[in-house]
Amino acid sequence: MSDWILENPENVSSAEIVVGIPSYNEADAIGFPTEQASLGLTRHFPGRKAVVVNCDNASTDGTKDAFFAAPCQVPRLYVSTPPGVKGKGNNFRNLFRLVRDLGAEAVVVVDADLKSITPQWIKFLGEPLLDDFGYVTPLYLRHKYDGTITNNIAYPLTRCLYGRRVRQPIGGDFGFSGELAKFYLEHETWNESVAQFGIDIWMTTLAMYHRRPITQAFLGRPKIHRPKDPASSLGPMFRQVVGTIFNLMGTFAPFWQEVRRSRPTAIYGFGLGQTEMPPPVDVNVEALYKNFHAGEAAHDAAWRTALAPNTYAKLREVLDLGLEQFEFPIPLWAHVLFDVAVAYRDRVLPPDDLMDALAPLYFGRTLSFVRSTDGMAMQQAEEYVEEQCLAFEEAKPYLLERWGS
Amino acid sequence: MARILIVDDEEHIRTLYTLELEDEGHQVLALETGEGLAEQIDAFNPDVVVLDIKMVGVSGLDVLQEVRSRYYDLPVILCSAYGSYKGDVKSIAADYYVVKSSDLTELKQKIDNALAARIPG
Repeated sequence: MSDWILENPENVSSAEIVVGIPSYNEADAIGFPTEQASLGLTRHFPGRKAVVVNCDNASTDGTKDAFFAAPCQVPRLYVSTPPGVKGKGNNFRNLFRLVRDLGAEAVVVVDADLKSITPQWIKFLGEPLLDDFGYVTPLYLRHKYDGTITNNIAYPLTRCLYGRRVRQPIGGDFGFSGELAKFYLEHETWNESVAQFGIDIWMTTLAMYHRRPITQAFLGRPKIHRPKDPASSLGPMFRQVVGTIFNLMGTFAPFWQEVRRSRPTAIYGFGLGQTEMPPPVDVNVEALYKNFHAGEAAHDAAWRTALAPNTYAKLREVLDLGLEQFEFPIPLWAHVLFDVAVAYRDRVLPPDDLMDALAPLYFGRTLSFVRSTDGMAMQQAEEYVEEQCLAFEEAKPYLLERWGS
Repeated sequence: MARILIVDDEEHIRTLYTLELEDEGHQVLALETGEGLAEQIDAFNPDVVVLDIKMVGVSGLDVLQEVRSRYYDLPVILCSAYGSYKGDVKSIAADYYVVKSSDLTELKQKIDNALAARIPG
């Protein structure tokens, strides 16, 4: 059996720009981003040979038919993993192959469930790639409680490790050069977590590690997709994203050990006029508190094993706090993540057990984030995220000491 | 000792920054406007740029975009008398943001931080 299924009804053999839309059972949603991608390509890249690609996981809900039925003025390709093979990263891997085979110069990827995408998103995510940039991440307004894994783990950790301020490292909507696609295809750090939800942070980290010029594209509109209450079940995403960060820390330690503080990236895409506010995200603080404390019964032994004695002692103090006075201090959170990263490297526990033990602590930190930013406007909450990142940078010598040479 | 390029349309600010930073041992070039900044950067080769946001005839935030696109890794510190500019998304392309004060402790700290930042090449 072939390792991919390819449908190329218009016999496309080359392209300069590719828009990829990864999916799994998105029949009810994929038509909209497909149409917007087509409009973006025809309006903003009129002289360029372009193609829209649906990278699918053999959806059974008619995603492919919905993709081909959407209004679209540019050629389309459908590529899928074989039935039974799932994973967002596997979809990207097929896209990397296709980009290489088509000889494309620039690639834009947008989520299939996006409700707020406009044609300009394609322009702003794609145009910098025709300049000198190798990687483009999105910059959109998000509700302060949307993207809590980003705010509390992915952004502060990657920033303090690799020294590049990329605000949405797992934003889901990206641009990357054809050259970078080939690089991704051949990189030896590919693994099962990357093949799933670890793909976004893997791509961003590799772009930073290999010093590809990065820009953040300001997209004007908020990311509107299927929102999730941060207190809801984390599912495999948490394990795969955080596991990928820890895994890459091991591989790239000689690099990040030399990084001091952080540097900004360029910003691309202005003149969009009035920006739109994101929809609210409801948070169940009682559930976060309950999830944090439920971890004590299930994972206390793992915490004691994975955390440094001082970190564990401070965690015990946090466990004694009631909901009304609850606080999980930022420096403690940084030390928790650094300790767990070391424990992950040393395999003091099976990686999945370690991730399961970290999850309740993440709920605790998220609760603290929610309480600290309660009543804050978006800009104030953003400054709070910045404070958290600076605290991670301040705490980095602790990580260097724990990690060793 | 570092080479510091200051861009500010207020003469007393340029004088204050120049005197204080030269006292710290830095080499300072102070400009009144961001016009033609690229040529000045090429000639002076600064280690860090201290850029005023609100200048007559030109926005420091627009100058920042030009600097960042031409000199990807040149540290830039934005200064303004108004903290509200911190809310402008363009400002995140700067390394740091400092609210102007006659006490330059924070500015000097941010300059030190910018100079200490290092990403292996």
